[in-house]
Amino acid sequence: MKRLVILTGHYGSGKSEIAVNMAIDEKMDMLVDLDIVNPYFRSRSVRSLLESHNVTLVESTLENASGSDLPFISSKGSRPFYDESLRAVFDLAGTKSGAKILKQYDQFINPEAIEFLMVVNIFRMETADANKIIHLIAELEGSAQLKVTGLINNTNLMKETTEATIIEGERVLKEVSSKLNIPIVYTFIEASIKTQYPFAGEVRRLTRHLAKKWL
Amino acid sequence: MAKVLMKGNEAMALAAIKGGCDAFFGYPITPQNEIPEYLSYHMEENDRIFVQAESEVAAINMVYGAAGSGARVLTSSSSPGIALKQEGISYMVGSELPAVIINVMRGGPGLGGIQPSQADYNQITRGGGNGDMKIMSFAPETLQETVNIVKESFSLADYYRNPVMIAVDGLIGQMMEPVDIDMPINEKKCPPKDWAATGESAKRGKRNTIVSLHLDPYKLEEHNLKLQKKYDKMIEDEQRYEMINMDSDPNIVLVAYGSMARIARSVIDDLKAEGIEIGMIRPISLFPFPQKAFDALSDKTTTLLTLEMSLGQMLQDVRLASNGRHKIEFFGRTGGVIPESDEIIAKIKSLIKEAK
Repeated sequence: MKRLVILTGHYGSGKSEIAVNMAIDEKMDMLVDLDIVNPYFRSRSVRSLLESHNVTLVESTLENASGSDLPFISSKGSRPFYDESLRAVFDLAGTKSGAKILKQYDQFINPEAIEFLMVVNIFRMETADANKIIHLIAELEGSAQLKVTGLINNTNLMKETTEATIIEGERVLKEVSSKLNIPIVYTFIEASIKTQYPFAGEVRRLTRHLAKKWL
Repeated sequence: MAKVLMKGNEAMALAAIKGGCDAFFGYPITPQNEIPEYLSYHMEENDRIFVQAESEVAAINMVYGAAGSGARVLTSSSSPGIALKQEGISYMVGSELPAVIINVMRGGPGLGGIQPSQADYNQITRGGGNGDMKIMSFAPETLQETVNIVKESFSLADYYRNPVMIAVDGLIGQMMEPVDIDMPINEKKCPPKDWAATGESAKRGKRNTIVSLHLDPYKLEEHNLKLQKKYDKMIEDEQRYEMINMDSDPNIVLVAYGSMARIARSVIDDLKAEGIEIGMIRPISLFPFPQKAFDALSDKTTTLLTLEMSLGQMLQDVRLASNGRHKIEFFGRTGGVIPESDEIIAKIKSLIKEAK
């Protein structure tokens, strides 16, 4: 894995849960929450969990203002781009509007150091088939001015997910992968699902940190 | 169609399109912005009308006009935005016009905050606007129930010629859950809208007009009695609720709706694992309030614990519905704070201890 991972995708694809899981499991130094779209369920809502794993959280300039949806991002978010001692995961808001925010880091960005990964759940209507996903990739790349370097299969129906759900996602993503020549780098599977299936890319077990058990 | 994973706000927006919504008029406010965002793309695709108005007041008056012409109309907002719309809602009740209003509640009073709340209960059930007015309101708990109720609400509004409010808290708007958007629902058969002001006369010589102004007090009283009959029919026919874990004949019964009911369910499960049986009445309709659920309680039930994301508004209706038969208790958090199941469990355990 490269030093910097930027997660993009449609909104509701699961970027924030994956960002938090990655930051903790990969022992990242920093999680930069660049979500200026959503008011709830943002990775910044688990600050104490991240800090307990020695992950520094960068969010709004108004730190700990969970009630704010103002489009502010702390300037600390640019540090991982030029401080080569830092490993960081960036959590973007969904769609091209969310990806546009990367533009401000243009002068620091070295694409060689970055994995720009697209999170996909094919049970989200806007990414239900290969054509829709390919269209979204083009939009996201245009906004971010970065090429998507890998796909993450995060296909799920939350508590109703089965092995077959994830396999269906993989079938669609393999079509995208062969058409665009972008690899599937991870498959995320919620910890409770039993499966031995040889999924594409590295298989990672996902713990839900943002959603409470009654959600 | 098979199930898809949707965010509450977009699910409500799509459900409105499926429910035959002809036109949407609204003004942005967190935490419901995904509704107008979704509709701004998809209404046009479906050859329907989408307008972002210059304010909430403008939006509700556009709803008033479009409903008056016979269209199925939707607006959506959040608590302070709904407060701004109250004048128009009262006019629509007075003029007997159908519309669906989605309220994704946030903390108050005033601008309050953007985190989830249920502190609009009084605004929703106690009029909001002026006059002897009532609007039917539904507070679903899951996204599937939300989708089904949004779809059905267009026919309920047409049937009663009265606005219907979908009252969810911000969590329902922002959470994600699998839904089958095409699940069949029961729809009321509605007569043709021969009252609509279309600019053409239904019968030669007399054009339809829409008014809420009646200067003769006797005529206005007569009009109010007619409206009252509709409210009575809603109370008779439209009470909706769910009774949970009542087979255990529990002493303590929770009363909770919307997200609060989701938390209450996890509390019931946790306590069951400890051998403690607690029941729940989950109101789905706020007006009409489900009196029938309270009438059905057995004599074993001694205590009703009302749970709300407010400082106790439904509490008053629970007291009225109980009519002195039970000890009434309350637990709530407000201002956008989501209650933890642990603090509710502690409250229940203290009630059990007191009773011993």
